[in-house]
Amino acid sequence: MQLDFLLNYIPFISSFLILFSIYLIMSLSLNLEYGYAGVPNFGHVFFMSIGAYVAGVLTARALDFFSGSTAGYCSGQAANIRGDFAIAHPEISMSLFVVSLILGAIIGGLFGYLGAYPALRLKEDFLAITLIFIGEIGRIIARNEEWLVCGLTGLTGVANPFKWIENVHLRSVIYTALVLVFAALIYIYTERLVQSPYGRLLKSIRDDEIAAMALGKEVPKVRGVVLIIGSSLAAIAGVLRTFYLQSVVADDFLPLVTFIVLSMVILGGMANNKGVVLGTLIMMVLDMFISPSFFAMMGVIVEFDITYLKYVLIGVIIILVLMFKPEGIVPEGPVRTPAVELSMQVEEEVEKAVQELIEFKKQKEGQSEG
Amino acid sequence: MDISVPLMNSLTLGSLYTLMALGLTMSFSVTKIANFAHAELVTLGGYVTALLVNWMGFGLAESLVAAFFASALLALAMDELVFKPLTRRGSRTLYLLVASIGIGLIVRYILYIYADLNGIITIQTKADIQIVSQVGRAAITTMHLWIFPVTIISVILLHVMFHYTKVGKALRAMADNEDLARVSGIRIYRLRRIMWVIAGGITGVAGGLWSAYSVLTPEAGWQALLRIFAASILGGLVSFWGTIAGGIIIGLAENLGISIANEFFYVNTAYRPLVSFIIIVVVFLFKPTGLAGIDVIGWIKRKMGKGE
Repeated sequence: MQLDFLLNYIPFISSFLILFSIYLIMSLSLNLEYGYAGVPNFGHVFFMSIGAYVAGVLTARALDFFSGSTAGYCSGQAANIRGDFAIAHPEISMSLFVVSLILGAIIGGLFGYLGAYPALRLKEDFLAITLIFIGEIGRIIARNEEWLVCGLTGLTGVANPFKWIENVHLRSVIYTALVLVFAALIYIYTERLVQSPYGRLLKSIRDDEIAAMALGKEVPKVRGVVLIIGSSLAAIAGVLRTFYLQSVVADDFLPLVTFIVLSMVILGGMANNKGVVLGTLIMMVLDMFISPSFFAMMGVIVEFDITYLKYVLIGVIIILVLMFKPEGIVPEGPVRTPAVELSMQVEEEVEKAVQELIEFKKQKEGQSEG
Repeated sequence: MDISVPLMNSLTLGSLYTLMALGLTMSFSVTKIANFAHAELVTLGGYVTALLVNWMGFGLAESLVAAFFASALLALAMDELVFKPLTRRGSRTLYLLVASIGIGLIVRYILYIYADLNGIITIQTKADIQIVSQVGRAAITTMHLWIFPVTIISVILLHVMFHYTKVGKALRAMADNEDLARVSGIRIYRLRRIMWVIAGGITGVAGGLWSAYSVLTPEAGWQALLRIFAASILGGLVSFWGTIAGGIIIGLAENLGISIANEFFYVNTAYRPLVSFIIIVVVFLFKPTGLAGIDVIGWIKRKMGKGE
């Protein structure tokens, strides 16, 4: 009885967790690029879309090829055939998932390398303008090309790797767990990266490019590497999203997505991964509450599309944070290197000793007066 | 191939892009903000014009004046509430860009909510359009008789203002070096307000004219922003005449250019925005000063000198 009640909530919880993880990967990678390295990659959604297209095209084409389907690439019939084939052949659909992840990350990284070309040459706000429009152009090309992801209608039938599991709830629990594991791994990876000497190099470039150059650091190369890493992480998010939705539509990758991710990073605190997790969580909870389904559940009837209200709120959050708390909820902390920790320990102990000495002196004075 | 229709479209849209981009160039050169909320000034102007004409029965001229003031007010509010406090605190220009994205989101989606409540997600000004004459297959309508003169008059007025009035000269001084302008006794914040009013107003008028020319949505400005930026960047982002040339070039490339490419190379006309994008990237990477950086007279002189 109790369990049945819980089962009803599984689709809801799993969709929340999956979207949270995907956005978390996006915001962590944007934080790496923008927060730590100071490269304003505001075309982040483009690199996510690359991963999504790679996963969609590869899986759909491969399933068509293995099943020998003769239905058109974009037809609904082809999507059904792909689904049935994936259910019958779990090993193929699961290995396609793995291949998509690897290829998506590689191709995303390659596109990041392309993005690095302007990144090495432009001033930061000009770079931001260029990258925003790179994303838009990518979307415009994708929505006009039938062979890629079926233009405006979108590609369907990108079978989830666990489609062969009959129990729907078990299937979604497993996929949710997998996506959560990916998000956690990427969190650990980015955290390790930014706490390493390389992370300090990134910060030094962000804070003073000329000083970093004068110290013999290869600024252009480091920026390029950061864009490659960030873009391939975004592409992984795109791959996970495609297999979750089992479809790809080019028009989903609006610049708005980048701005939402940006608001998560700014709200949580730039150059602080813990803050970014918090920021992402807050924005996702907001997203959950300001949605047509939640309003309908509460019995509130609104005459307009609720999502508009959400975007207004995102704009308000961006501006309020920039104006009143530019460092975000969790400000950027000091870098924790072994040396710094040791010196902090020493400092603490010295302070303690001094305190003891003062108390000892007071006691002595008290005794002598007495 | 008959080029009269795409040529006419090129000139019309080119003038509109010029008018929209002039405001962006002005605000960028004076405040150094790459203002993404500029798109919303266009949309607001368009909506104000369309609502006044369609619902209130005003004439187009009065509505355009109203659009001027509405967008000017919005531009002023943006600066007073967000940009000025941030600049005073010494924010980097990238922060201002992010803030302008935030403002853009707020204004655009408030407009969306308003439009959704009133059933005007798509809107077009019901102006009285009559065909005046015919050039090839293209018709010259009363709309063109609005767009071209308004653009030309605005350009001339701005030129006169920037070169022959004290305010204009002070603005140019401020664009060149704000600190130096300030120590010279120029009241930079007052001047900044004047600049936003003019820049916002012109953009609003451009939006109003555009609403009579084609159908608008609350996202129309955002979709035009790529072209506006491209025109402004092609002109070098700080040059007045460069922007005018940029706007016309973008108009020509996006209509006439794409028509020719479609005719001879079967390029999909949906790839129109690609032109502006390529222009942005090429200019940024190879000639950041844009058209303004090309010294024609100097080049001719050098050539002449070599010839002798």
